[in-house]
Order: sequence, then structure tokens, then C-alpha cells
Amino acid sequence: MDLEQLRKTAAEVVARDDVKYLIGWKKGSYGYRVAPVFVEDAAGVAELIFSPLCTANLTTYLTLVEKTPLPRGQEADKRKVALMVKGCDSRAVVQLLVEKGIHREEVIVIGCPCPGVVDQSLLVEKYGDTEEPVEVKWNGDGFMLVRGGEEIKIPRDEVLAEKCRLCRYPNPVISDHLIGAEVEKWSPAEDSGVSELDAKDVDGRWEYWEEQFNKCIRCYSCRNVCPLCYCQDCILDRLNPTWINRAVNFSENTAFNISRAFHLAGRCIECGECERVCPANIPLGKINRKMAREVREKYGFEPGLDPEAEPFQASFKPDDPEDFIL
Amino acid sequence: MSDNYEPNIVAFLCNWCSYAGADLAGTSRVQYPANIQVIRVMCSGRVNPLYVMNALQQGADGVLVSGCHPGDCHYMEGNFYARRRLGMLKDLMEFVGVDPKRFHMSWVSASEGHKWKEVVEKTVEDAREAGPFEGFRRRQIDW
Ligand code: SF4
Ligand code: SF4
Ligand code: SF4
Repeated sequence: MDLEQLRKTAAEVVARDDVKYLIGWKKGSYGYRVAPVFVEDAAGVAELIFSPLCTANLTTYLTLVEKTPLPRGQEADKRKVALMVKGCDSRAVVQLLVEKGIHREEVIVIGCPCPGVVDQSLLVEKYGDTEEPVEVKWNGDGFMLVRGGEEIKIPRDEVLAEKCRLCRYPNPVISDHLIGAEVEKWSPAEDSGVSELDAKDVDGRWEYWEEQFNKCIRCYSCRNVCPLCYCQDCILDRLNPTWINRAVNFSENTAFNISRAFHLAGRCIECGECERVCPANIPLGKINRKMAREVREKYGFEPGLDPEAEPFQASFKPDDPEDFIL
Repeated sequence: MSDNYEPNIVAFLCNWCSYAGADLAGTSRVQYPANIQVIRVMCSGRVNPLYVMNALQQGADGVLVSGCHPGDCHYMEGNFYARRRLGMLKDLMEFVGVDPKRFHMSWVSASEGHKWKEVVEKTVEDAREAGPFEGFRRRQIDW
């Protein structure tokens, strides 16, 4: 990744009058941590980085901004927001455009072709955690960990995030500025997590998810981090009607998890953020990818690719499959 | 499961076709199992997937959603949306391990009293096979 080109482009973008800020990644406070950064002027661009540790999907911040009512006589701030995206993140931007969650003229997309990011928990597991400042870089086919002057080569498969092994769109599908050259696509791994569950019978699957959903503490991190869970009036917060009780027990947890997955069916772009942030380590990605697979195979639809597409759940085809109907 | 177990079925019927079809079955004295609790909705497209989930949580062992045949929807296309959404819900529930026998969808028109009988029989039979869905019940608190 060409950091110089990134910072140069970023400086040009934030210097524009019609740009409010740029959302990117910067080094976190210690160790492997990476934090989001909001760059408002050219002085801030020196902080920007793009490395295998930049796992977070920054698209979430587009919809997290609170749009409070304007005092009378005050003009809305119509300036654009610039945003750094990887391949998967860019699909979230497209899906937001499809849903009119954002409008094209409100964003400037800075596309970063992505050779795959690391799963921090795997990195910690294999190479230990650290509080020293470290660096992780792409290095040929794998990664390079620079720690205390020592350079450790890491084979790609050892720490590559699961979503990246399965990734079909490593290059941004939408961008106004592309940083560096597009990466060569790799053939996505077979999604064994989903297939293994598919091979079980229903009772086996119920058992599996019973154990998983029982762990859920209903922190709603998975919803909060998701770039596509941005309903102002989320069913989970509603009291009247109370669709899902707040009690943390298996019944409510399951209803919640089914609802969340259902609301994202045909919308989830498989950025893996929900699973990454889940404190209970519930494999939410499996559910999401299962639904994505159904939607792709049965309905021939993939979210987050075509900004002109109709939202999947708000459209239909006369010849949708109906073999399940009595 | 005891021998005299009778499943509870909640059926969401659209006002214009399936409800009228069930009504016809009644006025024509067609006999069908009494396990079904009918909830009339204006259109099968109005059935929020959360209704299905709530019914199962609140004591249903099976759920049926029924609407007009494709092309006959009173609102032109409501049942097409329902077909797409509820079809996905069925796949999702199956993946989570809810027996697919617990959820059915059907097209029953206002003149199909006999089809209604068959649909109900099939739904009840399937739910009976699947057994009581105790695992998913909402916790009830008796104050
Ligand atoms: S992040 Fe995990 S524990 Fe938290 S609500 Fe979501 S599934 Fe449950
Ligand atoms: S559901 Fe998870 S994987 Fe899908 S878009 Fe949301 S955060 Fe990303
Ligand atoms: S869980 Fe459903 S209602 Fe809540 S924010 Fe996500 S999509 Fe919206």
C-alpha cells in the first residue's frame, strides 16, 4: 500500500471546501490496536494508515452521525464526508446507496484495494499480545510483523481473517479515488462453517445454536457496529409493541438473533464486523453467510454491488421460488 | 409427548382469499381439525416475520400463513413480497434448527374450501410430528 499516495490524496480531499472530514484509520494507543480517525485538515493526514490491522468497517460512521433537528434559520451542513474503504466496506457503501441511507453526492469514497486483513485474535494467540508499538505489513504472499526491531514473517493462512479467506470482492466496487493498484482476486475458500452445519439434521443445528445463543448477553454490539443496522426506530429498542423482551434468556436471545439475521438477509455484505465485536464469540458470520448464499443461489441477488439495484426485501420477481408453498 | 397431544397452530389468513376460503369451508360444513387459531390480516404481505416468531414464543407449535394465489392479490403484489420474505424466513429458521414442519405457507383462494381443509390437515399433521415446541417458549412470570 502506497502510504504516500494515500496521504497526498487525503490532503487534497480534506482541503476541498465542500468536504467536512475524512474518516480513516490511524494507529491505536498500543500494540496491534488501530483506531478510526476523523481528519479535518491537511495536518491530520500524517496519522492515516492502511495496514492488515485495519479490520474495522468505517462505513458504520456514515449512519452513526446523529441528525438532530436544525434550529430555525440555520442551514444544514451539506458538506461531503470522505471515507476510506476496503473491498467489503465499499459494498456497504453501495448497499447504503441502494437503500437511500446515504446519497451519492454526500460521500467521497477513497478505495483501498485490500490483500486481506488479519484476525487480531489469531495474531495474539500465535504471536502473543504486546503493549509495545508494533507494525504489521503486507509482505509478498503473507504478512510481516515488526516488533522491537525484529521482523517476523507470517504465512498468510496463519492469521488471515475468516471473512478474507471467503472474500470475493477485495477491490472496492465503488470509489472516487483509488489508492494504488487493484489486487489480484484469490479464489475464495470453501465455506466449511456453513456447509458443516447444513450437513447436520435440524435437531443437530438447534443444539448447536442453542449453545451459541445461550451465550448472548444482548449487548447489541453486533447491531451497533453493523453499517447496515441503522434504523432510527429499531425493533429491539421498541417498547410498544415489545417485539422482543429485554430478558436475557434462550427464547428471547433466539428471537433476537433470528430477527437480526432476517433483517440483514439480502443486505449483509459480509464484512464480518458483527462477529468480530461479539463479546460472546457467537459465530454470527455463519448465519449471515448462509442467508447470503440462499439469496444468491435461489434468487440470483447479491447485495452491495449495483447502486441502482432494488432493495432485495422490498422487491420481488414473479418467478421467485415457491416450492415450499402448499 | 403424551398420546393425546394436540398441537396449537396459529394461522394468519389474508382477508380477501384465504379467510374467505376458510369461511367457505365452514359454511359448506367441511370438517377440518380444530387445532387452528385464525388471525385475519388484510394481506399476506402484512405478515411481519416477527409475528411468526412471536406466535412460536407465545405457545404455538406451528404457524401457517396463507394468502391469495400469485396474481390474485387484492393489492396486486402483496403476496409476492410475502413469498420472498417468508420463504427466506423459512430457510433461516431451518438453519437455526427450527423444524421446517412448524412453518407453512399456502395459497388458498376464496373458492377453495376443500383446499383449505387439506392445508389445515397437513399443517396440523406436521406440527403433531414435530411435537410441542417447549424449547422456544417465552418465559412466563406468574406474579
Ligand atoms: S454482539 Fe454477540 S452477545 Fe452482543 S447482542 Fe450481538 S450476538 Fe449477543
Ligand atoms: S451483519 Fe455483520 S457482516 Fe453483515 S454487514 Fe452487518 S456487520 Fe457486516
Ligand atoms: S436489528 Fe433490524 S430494526 Fe434493528 S437496526 Fe437492525 S435492521 Fe433495523
